Amino acid sequence: MVRVNSTNQAYDFLRPWSKEAPFVRRGLGVVIDNGRILVTAELVANSNYIELERADSGEKSVATVQVIDYEANLATLSSTDPKFLAGMQPVQTTTHVKTGDDLSVLQLESNGTPVSTRALVTSVEVGKYALEDSGYLMFRISCPLQFRENSFTLPIVKDNKLAAFLMRYDSRSQTVDAIASPVIEHFLTEAQHQPYKGFPRAGLAFSPTRDPQLRKYLKLQDSDGGVYVNQVDRNGPAAKAGVKEGDVLVAIGDKQVDPDGNYLHPVYGKLSITHLTTTEAYCGQQVTMTVIRDGMRKQLSVELFRRSSEDYVVEPYTIGKPPRYYILGGLVFQELTRQYLREWGANWLKDAPQRLVYYDRFQSDLFPEKRKIVFLTQILPTQDTVGYEQLNNLVVEKVNGRKILNLDDFAAAVKNPTDGFDKIEFEEDPHEIYLDAKQVDEDTAQLQKVYSLPALQRL
Amino acid sequence: MIRCIALVAFFIVSDAIAQVPKAVDIRKSLVRITATSQEQDYKVPWNPGSTTVGVGAGFVIDNNRILTNAHVVSNARFIVVEKEDDPERYPALVQFVGHDCDLAVLRVLDKGFFQNTRSLGFGGIPAIESPVTVYGYPIGGDRLSVTRGIISRIDFQTYTHSAIDSHLAVQIDAAINPGNSGGPVMQDGKVVGVAFQGYSGDVAQNVGYMIPTPVIRRFLKDISGGHYDGYVDLSITYFKLLNPAERHALGLPDNEQGVMVSSVSSEGSSQGILQQGDVLLTIDDHPIASDGFVQLDGERVEMPEIVERKFKDDTVKFGIWRDKTKQTVEIRLKGNWPYLIQANHYDSPPRFVLFGGLVFQPLSKNFIDAYQIEDLRLRYYYDYFVTDEIYKTHPEVVVLSNILPDPVNAYLSDLRFQVVDSVNDKKIRTLEDVADAFAQKSDYYVIHFVGSVRPAVLERSAVEQARDRILGNYNVHKEQYVERGLTH
Repeated sequence: MVRVNSTNQAYDFLRPWSKEAPFVRRGLGVVIDNGRILVTAELVANSNYIELERADSGEKSVATVQVIDYEANLATLSSTDPKFLAGMQPVQTTTHVKTGDDLSVLQLESNGTPVSTRALVTSVEVGKYALEDSGYLMFRISCPLQFRENSFTLPIVKDNKLAAFLMRYDSRSQTVDAIASPVIEHFLTEAQHQPYKGFPRAGLAFSPTRDPQLRKYLKLQDSDGGVYVNQVDRNGPAAKAGVKEGDVLVAIGDKQVDPDGNYLHPVYGKLSITHLTTTEAYCGQQVTMTVIRDGMRKQLSVELFRRSSEDYVVEPYTIGKPPRYYILGGLVFQELTRQYLREWGANWLKDAPQRLVYYDRFQSDLFPEKRKIVFLTQILPTQDTVGYEQLNNLVVEKVNGRKILNLDDFAAAVKNPTDGFDKIEFEEDPHEIYLDAKQVDEDTAQLQKVYSLPALQRL
Repeated sequence: MIRCIALVAFFIVSDAIAQVPKAVDIRKSLVRITATSQEQDYKVPWNPGSTTVGVGAGFVIDNNRILTNAHVVSNARFIVVEKEDDPERYPALVQFVGHDCDLAVLRVLDKGFFQNTRSLGFGGIPAIESPVTVYGYPIGGDRLSVTRGIISRIDFQTYTHSAIDSHLAVQIDAAINPGNSGGPVMQDGKVVGVAFQGYSGDVAQNVGYMIPTPVIRRFLKDISGGHYDGYVDLSITYFKLLNPAERHALGLPDNEQGVMVSSVSSEGSSQGILQQGDVLLTIDDHPIASDGFVQLDGERVEMPEIVERKFKDDTVKFGIWRDKTKQTVEIRLKGNWPYLIQANHYDSPPRFVLFGGLVFQPLSKNFIDAYQIEDLRLRYYYDYFVTDEIYKTHPEVVVLSNILPDPVNAYLSDLRFQVVDSVNDKKIRTLEDVADAFAQKSDYYVIHFVGSVRPAVLERSAVEQARDRILGNYNVHKEQYVERGLTH
């Protein structure tokens, strides 16, 4: 184990030219093979500076992120000093963990002595990880933990092998949500290949078929089991293989799907079928989905792949990456991201601009085409924006007659003003505004100076 | 309009100074109104609703009528009126009610009621800082109460009774409490307003509002035809043309005139006449300034104020700037029904359909308030019903609002608050469509919802078996109510 101290600084999505105040997160990393150190992605998200510290000697070294997966909440680091880990023993992982097993959560005393706390696995299930959209295998563990330095994330071991990584601890109920070893193994295996492909998804959503009236209507036998496919991502793996909304998914490979969407795992017991397509299988692999459509069984071969955050109309997360923006005469334009909406705080679903929250939530239904939502976020008042001061959070449809599907379109469109004016058309009131293109150009230097903007655009 | 009003007020004030003001015996005009109301229960829509008794004030006006607030007599089942110095209680009926302006006219069945009463006349808008007297029956005792205050502010305010309408209102520093509602606010022997709303002491002290006489006069004129049509609306939004670049781009001179039409509601008066992008230069020959104000008799008032004074089927004339040329258009005025989704609804029972223990209700303000809806899609459909013209595909947004648990719907609880898209492949546009679809004989009723949501399937035989059980267990005496109440 090594101490990992990461100084992180996220971008401020309300002022996309700035970063928020930096803060430090301290956790523990585990030395695995080839000089790699495993940590959670949260620990080093938006990191500016990562420091490793040996518990035995107190010796420090700078580390860099090798591979990071925010969805699986895992990352590998390496020291810039190749000799830093000399003499340390790499740890193996184990997937032989069952409900009822005794594990140990490891911490370090301030003097470097390892402390181990006994922990009981209370359940194994697919649960929510750090990002709301991603669910992977999780060990729920009961254990009383005391706060110590570097406790942000902690390794959990069984028989001296890594079994899990502490991701969340609730001190009131004394329960731990831990990243389960099958997820860790999937990540480490995939991380050995360049480029890193991540965890695949089937690209479908399902609901139970317990309702006897629904089963009768769908002409399902009791022995069929199966779940009702209520959503298929456009261009996702399931869609490409021909899975359709309304199909009943009864098997994945040789695993039968029960009416609640579970299958029988040899070690963990009943488990959501999500685990089969996200963690058991790798990107590029084929799985066979058996569906019942109009009472007929069909077998479809699905090639699994990952959908990256960038592929969404509204990116579900933007971490370690600066937000794109374009400032035109004091009007600030950005591409909509969930991170922007999250700036409204814990109650962002209620407090953030409702139209934008709605666009994010129902993006797959609302926007069939590949695009981003470019919108006017705010106004830095100048003489060019007189009368526009109250405008904000307006989605841009066209600029100078050109349809705007991303910020690059926007940047290109403002190069071609019509009769000397930039015409910006919004989806809602006031529907259209104009800027004097020449005047905006002349005022740009002053705008940048008055508002101390480091740059007027980032594309 | 404000200027016009101020002028009228000026005359009245000077008139009052010239003559000794007539003392009015308010006891001959003031009426105490006790209304027993049944508030609709949107969560249990077949319930008649709980009864509450409220006290308000009113006053006698010409032709043996009583004027009061709409909110004093909304949802009323039984109304009695009392005079000062008369022990008798007289049953009364609502003759006209304007929920959009919070005014109502009552009729007393016993004509003897009006013997020895004196009808009050109306004044204009009192001047800022001038004193007024408020009469009513506010909390703190049972008998007539008199308070005095001065005129603090004259401005547009939201009328909270409907929650979407704003009209001119006058703020006074006499507290207006429950029971003051409907009472006259007097100056120099004339009614200058009807007390109607205030703030609770937690928010602000000594802030009360009265409905000024232009709004009252408009209401009385509207009902003189025997029916209350209500306010009419241009049903457009407009953008102030304050930006020089925007003015130049639109080809307008720097004369500080004109506002740009930013949207035209497709169910409103201006549909087919005005277009997005039109610049409104004049309204009824009054030039419109670039901030949307109009010069009327030397006073600046907001442009829609011109329309506030008009009635259904009146016309308004606009000088517009379209395709860089001047044109004139005329608009025949009417209301705009889609807005009403966001208005409080009174006087008719909640509409619903119950089938297989599933309750279907149209989205409305009363519905949103009763259920404290936080569902994202419902909030969006409600908030953007007008702006995004959701009414074009869903004149009513029919929601699976509740599920009365029973074996027939045991697996459907997760579908609560979904919006109904179709029943047995028939698109659902209104609550009537839902009632019709369930009235059709079919082995299965397959309910599809908006978005990527699984369908609900009800087997007719199962629904029929469950019917009496559900009606009995949940004390449902009516399985549907789909009739539409009057909008005003």
